[in-house]
Amino acid sequence: MDRELLIEIGCEEIPASWLPGLTRQVGEQLDARLKEFRLNTDAKTETFSTPRRLTARVAKLAERQEDFEELVTGPPVSAAFRPDGDPTPAAAGFARKYNVEVPALERHDTPKGTYLAYRVHQRGKATVDVLAEVMGSLLRSLTFPKQMRWDAYLEDGKGDLVFARPIRWLVLLYGGRVVPFVIRRTEIAQGPTVQDVRSGSNTYGHRFLTTSGRAGRAIKVKTFEDYQSRLLENFVILDRPERESKIRRELEMHARKLGGRVSGLVAAQSSLLQEVPDLVEYPSVIAGHFPVEFLQLPEEVLTTTMIHHQHYFPVVDDEGRLKPAFLAVINMQAEKPEIIARNSERVLTARLRDARFFYDQDRNVTLESRLPRLSTILFHKKLGSYKEKADRVASLAAWIARDALRQPDAATHAEQAGRLCKADLATDMVRELTELQGTMGGIYAREENLPVEVWKAIYFHYLPIGIEAEAAPTAAQLGKAAVTWAAVSLADKLDSVVGMFAAGERPTGSRDPLGLRRQAQGAVKILIDLPELTGLDTRVTLGPLLSRAAEPFGGYGESAAPLLTFIADRLAYLLEQRGFDVRSVRAVMHAGIEQVSPLAARRKLDALAHMTGSPALLGVATLLKRVKNITKGIAAPASLDAVREVVREPAEQALAAEMGTRAPMILAAAERGDFREAFTAIAALQPAVAKFFDDVLVMAEDERLRTGRLGLVATLRDLILGIADISEIVND
Amino acid sequence: MTFQDLILKLSSYWASHGCLLQQPLDLEVGAGTSHPETLFRVLGQKPWSVAYVQPSRRPDDGRFGQNPNRLFKHHQYQVILKPSPDEVQQLYLDSLEACGINPRQHDIRFEEDNWESPTLGAWGIGWQVLLDGLEITQFTYFQQVGGIDLAPIACEITYGLERIAMFLQRVDNVFDLEWGGGVKYAEVRLQEEIDQSKYAFGQVDMPAEEFAALHRDLFDKNFAFAETLLASGLIWPALEHTLKCSHLFNILDSSGSVGVTERTAYILRVRQLAVKLARAYVEANEPKAEVQ
Repeated sequence: MDRELLIEIGCEEIPASWLPGLTRQVGEQLDARLKEFRLNTDAKTETFSTPRRLTARVAKLAERQEDFEELVTGPPVSAAFRPDGDPTPAAAGFARKYNVEVPALERHDTPKGTYLAYRVHQRGKATVDVLAEVMGSLLRSLTFPKQMRWDAYLEDGKGDLVFARPIRWLVLLYGGRVVPFVIRRTEIAQGPTVQDVRSGSNTYGHRFLTTSGRAGRAIKVKTFEDYQSRLLENFVILDRPERESKIRRELEMHARKLGGRVSGLVAAQSSLLQEVPDLVEYPSVIAGHFPVEFLQLPEEVLTTTMIHHQHYFPVVDDEGRLKPAFLAVINMQAEKPEIIARNSERVLTARLRDARFFYDQDRNVTLESRLPRLSTILFHKKLGSYKEKADRVASLAAWIARDALRQPDAATHAEQAGRLCKADLATDMVRELTELQGTMGGIYAREENLPVEVWKAIYFHYLPIGIEAEAAPTAAQLGKAAVTWAAVSLADKLDSVVGMFAAGERPTGSRDPLGLRRQAQGAVKILIDLPELTGLDTRVTLGPLLSRAAEPFGGYGESAAPLLTFIADRLAYLLEQRGFDVRSVRAVMHAGIEQVSPLAARRKLDALAHMTGSPALLGVATLLKRVKNITKGIAAPASLDAVREVVREPAEQALAAEMGTRAPMILAAAERGDFREAFTAIAALQPAVAKFFDDVLVMAEDERLRTGRLGLVATLRDLILGIADISEIVND
Repeated sequence: MTFQDLILKLSSYWASHGCLLQQPLDLEVGAGTSHPETLFRVLGQKPWSVAYVQPSRRPDDGRFGQNPNRLFKHHQYQVILKPSPDEVQQLYLDSLEACGINPRQHDIRFEEDNWESPTLGAWGIGWQVLLDGLEITQFTYFQQVGGIDLAPIACEITYGLERIAMFLQRVDNVFDLEWGGGVKYAEVRLQEEIDQSKYAFGQVDMPAEEFAALHRDLFDKNFAFAETLLASGLIWPALEHTLKCSHLFNILDSSGSVGVTERTAYILRVRQLAVKLARAYVEANEPKAEVQ
């Protein structure tokens, strides 16, 4: 008969940001362990968590392990018997090991010959007898962003049991009965106040709330149903979606009472709504106010203080303007919520008063005069201070505006914005609210009456963060600062990526502490969306941009190969995220990342997507594959004239003529950026190319003829590859 | 509850829970962690529970007495429990209740906040404790000190005394706190804050280069002497001179006297001393323990 398994790991408060991942791990690892231990389940493993518990429930778990059967092979039959038929010592020894006679052994055919074999049957043990082992290996299998030692170990010979936070209790019930299991405490720690953690049937409710008896007392449970309802009685909502919906409901209700709604910024700029359900066991919402005079502070300062520092939700009116109010999610069902609200108001007001002090102080000093201070703030030990970084960004931004974007008028602004874009790191406000770096510099530049091009370029220079086409900043937000911003934002990101690679700091696996992936993606996003963002239709090629960014570091050095691969990967990732076909992405990036213009790549992909399924284009693509194979290492002739004198078959004459007329059209269309027309013209070559390969033998005996024909197809190859390697889009 | 009553309450609470009551370290330090009662005692196997006030100087936080929440020097109440008892969170919550904070009427939370001190080669895992959104305590399970893995694990509870007192007295400006017997915090400390802030930011009748050179020189002399003391096996005075270096570096930093490369080098030098000190302490006190 199947019975219920209930596991609860009772912990001190687990970091909220770890909980979703950890809860998932518990489910996956428990499933894997049950499978490994041949324990069958009929129902899906369910997992739950609150800051103080990780819970798993298997509604129906078999009472016994599956029986185990294994065929153990012994010596080969050829070495198992003497000529007289008696078993050799090898065969006898093998049989003895399994306590049987040699004739009882099976014969097992393998590709290497026939072997003696013994079939081991092991009857499955009772589930209760293996669950302790399952529990131990479950605890061992969990991983944490940062693990802690807490003087605990398991008796499995593997030493210390590290965990997220100390484990304080353990529920381990199978069919309502406790399965004995123990987490030992080390000898040096153990004493009257430090004890082993033994599995039991006791759980614990909310730290401070209870309907009866003393808060925090042990609650005995038997089944999951019982467990969940007893927890609820003791102010723990086990189910995260329930906590979340209670929070959303109450937020909306309180916001309405205040005559507004929760600011959309909360979702746009933070993961606050995702995070709060993992900070509380029994959430409720309270409303508070702050003095209206603080509304004179920049909105960004108010929302950052509320959202990032206090985990409070800002409230806005119908026009989206901040109200002098906030909502806070608390882990209480307070008798007197007004006490908590008043205290929260005092905390927020103190923070805002601080912020106002910083805001007033900071504005006494210009950004320009803060630059010397930047030389005391380290950017990277091999790349120098932020002063040096800002100088590099300034010079690169001016170069990008002038030479890459061909907007010489923007160069002066770009230089100035680049030079000043890190100056806010030396302001009190940014030292206090680091989330506001860039934003604050922009606000201070605006207050100094610097040109809009300059202050907006500083304000938005950390953006874009997202890679989707509509990610902030938008053209409307940027206005006439768009070109300057693009130059500064590109310069900052390229300087960081190229510089960090030169310094040997490369992202590996999931480790990317400096956010280089995001920065590289941000840079290619700007180039890809350049027309929409800035109105410029400039197809900027990556090679010159990257090598100019590498100049201050003495060139790429050894980082060339990894850097270029990294940039290519980020561009391909972004293009794939935009929904383009993987093979098409390879096709437009074939020439090597230094030759690629992200904007041209996007346009080519749009054109290819438009022509998906064109039989003519696919036809040319298929033949291009062949062309590439036979022309490996062969350079195209300077012109087709010489070729046309040599070739004589009608099909090759026709192809040469066709290319003669189409090539200029194709090149002109590509030059204009009209890749749809370019690909259409390439597709139009299909009949001539196909006929050529049907009628003509390229590898002719006659060397002049062969050279001529190879020259013809090599010219065709280069014409197409100049735009994209469309052989990539052919289905293999 | 006055500022001094709060200290008395916490002291009597922790004394009744087995802590020795120690006195502050009579040196300029940034936090209670620098006190040998923490820095040394958490090393090795010997159980140790202690509580003390530590005036903590943070030159960078100096605000000339003008900021209602920020001080050049604030006071921490530091508790070390080694090994860390299973009930440590409850013990802490009870201590709040002893100070008149009823947890059933407030929102008390343990939110992730790990502590790290690069200069001491030390780190730990823990939380900041929030009381109705106000950070009142740093709660840390030490994992390493001076680069040495700790066993058993000690728990450090650091109360921010001014914050808690402001909460209890419902004042919004630290200088309005009642220290004791009707005397305000401002009367006790305002002039000190102003003078110390001026010093920390180099507002001294002395050219900036000379100010910097003097502090560099003091750093170097204390550093060299700390090494001499360490080589002589005199660990306690060696720690004191290391801590002086640490504070001198903070002054150099807050007065804008150090560049980037220099800054990293200073931190590294203090760290190396701290690591050597920790090892020396373990070797002297735990002859059988494995030193890494």
